[in-house]
Amino acid sequence: MSDPAVAPRSSLFKKYFRTIFAAVVAPLLIAGGSEAWFGYHDQRARLNDLLDAEARLAAVKIQDFIEGLHDQLSWTVQLPWSDNTGDRRRLDALRLLRQAPAVESLSLVDPAGKERLFVSRIGLNRIEGGDDHTANPAVVGARSDRIWFGPVTFQDGSEPFMTVAVAGNRMAVGVAVAEVNLKFIWEVILGIRVGRTGEAFVLDRPGRLVAHPDISLVLRADETAQKPLQTLRAAILAQPAGQATTGQDISGKTVLAAMAQIPGMDWSVIVKQPADEAFGPIYAALFRTGALLIAGAVLAAVLAYWLTQRMIGPIRVLEDGVARIGAGQFDHRINLATSDEFERLATRFNEMASELSVSQERSERISRLKRFLAPQVAELIDRTGDDRVLDGRRVEVVVVFCDLRDFTAFSAQAEPEAIIGVLREYYDALERVVSAHGATLVNFFGDGVMVLLNAPVSCSDPALRAVNMANDMQKSVQQLLVAWRALYPRLGFGVGLAMGPATVGRIGSEGRLNYTAIGNVVNLASRLCASAEDSEILVDRVAANSIGSRAPLVELDARALKGFDQPVPVFAVVSGSTTP
Amino acid sequence: MRAMAHAVGKTIRQIRRRDFIALAGSATAWMASAHAQAMPVIGYLGSESPERYGSRLSAFREGLAEAGYVEGRSVAIEFRWAEGEYDKLPALAADLVNRQVTVIVAAGGAEVALAAKSATTTIPIVFEMGGNPIALGVVNSLSRPGGNLTGVSSLSVEVSRKRLEFMQEVRPDTKKFAVAVNPTSPTSNSQLKNLHAAADALGVELVVLRNHAEHEFDAMFTAVREMRAGGLVFSSDPYFAYRSRRLAALAAQHTVPAITQSRDFTLAGGLMSYGGDFGQSHRHAGIYAGRVLKGEKPSDLPVQRVTKVELFINLKAASNLGISFPPSLLGSADRVIE
Repeated sequence: MSDPAVAPRSSLFKKYFRTIFAAVVAPLLIAGGSEAWFGYHDQRARLNDLLDAEARLAAVKIQDFIEGLHDQLSWTVQLPWSDNTGDRRRLDALRLLRQAPAVESLSLVDPAGKERLFVSRIGLNRIEGGDDHTANPAVVGARSDRIWFGPVTFQDGSEPFMTVAVAGNRMAVGVAVAEVNLKFIWEVILGIRVGRTGEAFVLDRPGRLVAHPDISLVLRADETAQKPLQTLRAAILAQPAGQATTGQDISGKTVLAAMAQIPGMDWSVIVKQPADEAFGPIYAALFRTGALLIAGAVLAAVLAYWLTQRMIGPIRVLEDGVARIGAGQFDHRINLATSDEFERLATRFNEMASELSVSQERSERISRLKRFLAPQVAELIDRTGDDRVLDGRRVEVVVVFCDLRDFTAFSAQAEPEAIIGVLREYYDALERVVSAHGATLVNFFGDGVMVLLNAPVSCSDPALRAVNMANDMQKSVQQLLVAWRALYPRLGFGVGLAMGPATVGRIGSEGRLNYTAIGNVVNLASRLCASAEDSEILVDRVAANSIGSRAPLVELDARALKGFDQPVPVFAVVSGSTTP
Repeated sequence: MRAMAHAVGKTIRQIRRRDFIALAGSATAWMASAHAQAMPVIGYLGSESPERYGSRLSAFREGLAEAGYVEGRSVAIEFRWAEGEYDKLPALAADLVNRQVTVIVAAGGAEVALAAKSATTTIPIVFEMGGNPIALGVVNSLSRPGGNLTGVSSLSVEVSRKRLEFMQEVRPDTKKFAVAVNPTSPTSNSQLKNLHAAADALGVELVVLRNHAEHEFDAMFTAVREMRAGGLVFSSDPYFAYRSRRLAALAAQHTVPAITQSRDFTLAGGLMSYGGDFGQSHRHAGIYAGRVLKGEKPSDLPVQRVTKVELFINLKAASNLGISFPPSLLGSADRVIE
């Protein structure tokens, strides 16, 4: 069989491994990939919503601060001005300063635009100061819109201040103008936390920083330093509304930022969260998915290896078994207990091996039988694979005996080489004739040969066939004798044949097996051969009767033969005559 | 069962804690030796004594901790105290400069800030003071201080005129008030100018009493009592502020209505105080010191103004003096001591 060292061009192991691995990993990859993709987008959207909500919340908080101021200021513009309300208003104004720490100073302006009261934390209070405020944009603005927000100014180039003016619901109550220290928004801003470290800050319309958790940034009022924040705002504005964007903050860190506007003031409240923190969960999820994919792939590889190994293992065992059986080790049995098709296949191979061993045994036996069977018999047995024809039975056979006359004397004086040469030519000639007539050469002893007809292979008209064969034998051997008589002139060749029932079959031990016939007819044929002259063919009565007139026979005198009580009738074949 | 599990857990925790402490201990020991050279040093320059600075120091440490520094663990503090002798400040500042400290904290007034400023132009300085740092020549700009110093200023100096206003509200029938000024203070002139302007606006007469020594306090109160002034208004000055207890005692003793910048005065039995919240300003100074330790440049840190001004009034002192507060003051007070 095939040499196991010769590796196949493509291994089944690799194919199966690849297929199983791909079958497991491909869906895993697709599922994991789509999960990661959609997860990323969902997370991104959620983050967006979260930041947007935070921005709105921060805006609301700052708006609350401003609304609070507005509410406080509204108290001071509810009653119309008259001469005797001055002291009460002063108390109201002082209480407002107490309540609203962000208000640095407050002026109350009457309907005529005159400043009636001024209270301050730092400067001296003024009652009935009388300054004309009719042209003050705060007063003008408040009168037309009820509330007015001034631009953010930086006192001493540092602290952010804003003027807020509030008008009452009618002219007569006048206007309250407050200077608001925006540093107080700081506390609001400080309270806003986005995620773990995210923060909020506020830019006014021109992009100046109004509030930032790092107050020093606000106090520094450094426009170039605040440039990145303005760029960030521009980036958010470039996005569709409510969409967060990534940008850089003052320290150059990448942040995710969203923005909400405070209506009426044109302030932008921007919340930002460091990108690595904001995207942290996303990256963690991606990493998790990746890790799961890798773990899944490893598991798939292990599984594929195990499955393939399970499949390839039996195949190897089968291959090895088949190789052994092929090498002639028919007693080898493939031992597989996989309880599947492999086991069935192994059982088939085992059956095949046992059948092979039976058939080999038979072919050995046949080849052994061939030694004494006529080639056609051997061929028959070979073809059918059945040697039962050789089994013992009782059958009507024709037994033919022949031997050389005076061979014993010749062999006593001749050289061994000459003897062997003579015998080889002798047997070659006889075997040819025996084969040609479908007879079976069952035995030879020295120069004597025993040939059987109608056994083991039955044939029609064995007696006639035997006579014809004997004639051919005489012809062949007589030709040879012409040469041999030069060596020893008294050499001759005689044939005797008899017909009768005999027991035929294989006899002998396992090591030494012969096919032969046992019975009186054998004896008779042997005695007839012994009594035959050179060139003579003696036939017994049974055979002669069977032949009848189809061959020229002449009855001789009955002869007394050894082993026979009565003289035996003997017929001789008229030499030279042959029937077809 | 649960108790047992708890006990086991506790033991494990204890073991872990023990291991951790042992580990941390050795780590600390190792770090301490490494830190012996590496730990930054704050040179703290104060005009008085640690006792008088007590509440301010704790506010400062609070701020420092907010910036992530704890004395003795991540930062060392070298103190230099002038014990009230302000002319010693420049020498003490120079001493800190010689020690090559990482940062100088000059807290408790313009004098301290100026002494530190004149001592070095390289070592970062964080100051804490009242008054306008620009006007006093400490920095050129609040938003961009430039140079090696930044800090925190409170509004105490600006509001000395408000003290006169409040005093006048308490004693509306009096037209004559005494003002105590420390002539050695760098802010005395500006405050006086402010006070005179306010007196003109309020229509009252001012008697200026100059005083820069504790032993003259008694004579000062006697003078106020004798001149029958409506009350004594203290200008903003750390020298007075750190001696609030003594001033409160003298005011009660001489039955003189007085107002100072420091809440300590009111808490100690004084009538009124109006001034910046020093707790905030010292805390912010601590935060700034921490930020400078972290490597930020003073020139990048704007001068912070603590805008909170607080009015404290003491009703007990008022009743002792036979004074009643008008409702406007009672309503405006941040704290009323009854």
